[in-house]
Amino acid sequence: MFELILSGYAAVFADPMSIGMVFLGVMVGIIFGALPGLTVVAGLSMFLPVTYVMASNVGLSMLTAIYIGGTSGGLISAILLNIPGTPASIATTFEGAPMAKNGLAGKALGLGVFASLVGTLIGVAVMTLLSPTLALLTLKFGPWEYFTVTFFALTLISALTGKSIVKGLLSALFGMMFATIGLSPIDSARRYTFGSLQLTSGFHLLVVLVGLYAISEVLSAASSKRPPVKVLSYKMKGLGFSAKDLKGNWINLIRSSLVGLGIGILPGIGGSTSNIIAYSVSKNASKHPEKYGTGIPDGIIASESSNNASIGGAMIPLLTLGIPGDGATAILLGGFMLHGMVPGPLLFQQNGDLIYNIFGSMLLATVFVAILMWAGMRMFVKILKVPTHILVPLIVVLCSIGAYALGNRVFDMWGLLLFGVIGLLMSRFKIPVPPFILGFILEGALETNLRRGLEYSNGNFWEVFTRPISSMFLILTLLSLATTLYKQYRSAKRAKGA
Amino acid sequence: MNSDSKKELGVGIFFLVLSVAYMIGTTTISTFTPFGNRGLDSRSIPLLIGILTVIMSSIQIISILVKEHKMKIVSSEQVSDETEEVCDPDEIACVEPPKGTIIQRIDNVVPVKLVLSMLFLMIYIAAYQRVGFILSSIFFLMAESFLLVRDEERKKWRIFIILFSIGASVIIYFVFTKYLSLFLPRGILG
Repeated sequence: MFELILSGYAAVFADPMSIGMVFLGVMVGIIFGALPGLTVVAGLSMFLPVTYVMASNVGLSMLTAIYIGGTSGGLISAILLNIPGTPASIATTFEGAPMAKNGLAGKALGLGVFASLVGTLIGVAVMTLLSPTLALLTLKFGPWEYFTVTFFALTLISALTGKSIVKGLLSALFGMMFATIGLSPIDSARRYTFGSLQLTSGFHLLVVLVGLYAISEVLSAASSKRPPVKVLSYKMKGLGFSAKDLKGNWINLIRSSLVGLGIGILPGIGGSTSNIIAYSVSKNASKHPEKYGTGIPDGIIASESSNNASIGGAMIPLLTLGIPGDGATAILLGGFMLHGMVPGPLLFQQNGDLIYNIFGSMLLATVFVAILMWAGMRMFVKILKVPTHILVPLIVVLCSIGAYALGNRVFDMWGLLLFGVIGLLMSRFKIPVPPFILGFILEGALETNLRRGLEYSNGNFWEVFTRPISSMFLILTLLSLATTLYKQYRSAKRAKGA
Repeated sequence: MNSDSKKELGVGIFFLVLSVAYMIGTTTISTFTPFGNRGLDSRSIPLLIGILTVIMSSIQIISILVKEHKMKIVSSEQVSDETEEVCDPDEIACVEPPKGTIIQRIDNVVPVKLVLSMLFLMIYIAAYQRVGFILSSIFFLMAESFLLVRDEERKKWRIFIILFSIGASVIIYFVFTKYLSLFLPRGILG
């Protein structure tokens, strides 16, 4: 395994094309992460068609570089505008903005970049070591194990995203409904095609993802009345901070990275949640919790290390099980599929060299992010002033190319608009989008494995309980549902008391 | 009932109606069981999804109605306790008179920019194949940029938006077709 890791890493550093695309990806990612209102998912959607003609390793490396750059880039606007560039940097604003107001913007930016670097490195290291081992384990999975693990992922994300478990489950079921359009697995029966030839192949995953994330963002930008942003001034010498600033924060840094990593592994949650949880954990463990919110480095370190560590965490279920960890990894799943690969246990056996190559490029991207942000902060701050009325229409044009190029049909572009409107309405009615995505992605695997399992067992469903791994996942499913219901009951009771 | 509860109730009703329509749709799905019925057919999972959606949407509707009922009881008790006059939010007299121009009032309910954005996108998609990528993109970039730019800055950005729309559309077309080997429709420029 270590030979493969080393050769994969070496291949990246020996290929100038890969290095160039990783660099470009990081630049694009930081810009999309930094610009409020545009997320890393929009950046990934926009650049997906660019990777169509690239070699698989180069194209996928570029996409992962956008993901890493975008997650880190959010800290710039969080500190200088007091607006999180991405949902993953919400907690960074809690300390970053007060620090900037106190004239310490340079230090806040420097510490944020450093925490991002350490967080991403920890995430990538754990992903590199853990993914192949987990992939070997999942090779032993049969249809019942796959059915229960996908069922667990679906219920977990429905329970954990949003405030209402019912709305989370409804969102997942809504996504599953769209996934049933087209030909059914196993026997290829037509479902909900209404005699349309176009609908026979169903909706492509990328059309759904780009529509829900990028087009809905664009539509929402059109309907929002955002006031013009005011960038706070900053001065940054060297790294922006000294070793003294890190004193007493090393445990916070490691702990927050591990929190981010663990949350990233859970399907559908990722950096947008991990930064807030890591911030709360850091505050609870701190000797001076009263200082949180006034502008102290501890909060920035917690937030930025955790959201970046979530990248490696979110990649683990994607690569080993084909279950995306968050919105960005859902787009990456589409990227893998476009390049003829299906993430899952066989990926390491069939495309091992390519996977280690991507791991290597992620490491390279992490280093590029740090160098670019430390050296080119002035340029990124200037980009914050690029008006959205220029960027937003351009995103639509590029996303449309991506959809059209899937099968040279305008039908997919109509699909973009449909899912864009659905995404917009879901956000207006506070229905979480991640369960919808996971429902859409996992319905096929869920149905195929359930039907296959029942065929193997001659229609006996109880066989699922006789297998240890599937039983374990069923128990975990029940536990996650029960825990969420109990938490909702308690918070409702508390609200009533207040 | 406040607007949040109305929204939540709307979500429940939407999913209930959708699930019923979806379940009716399962009757059109053909099934094949060449080796005997040893489990599920192609109709079973959609039916299961439909049933689960009915259950979940019913829970959503019932929970909102129960919550509203409880709130009504609590508020009626408070009203009887208090001596001063309490305004019923459902009464028309209690609704604040609308402010601003007619356009602003419509915009508060349905954002005009959003509707126009969707309209531009629809025209763009409809024209994509027939008119071609370059012309349809020039139209879309220009229309959408002029729509999104702030009113007071429109004049300042006018020339830039026009040049940018033309330049970006042409550059994107040539980069994608010549260097990235993707097919994009030429349309009437063909």
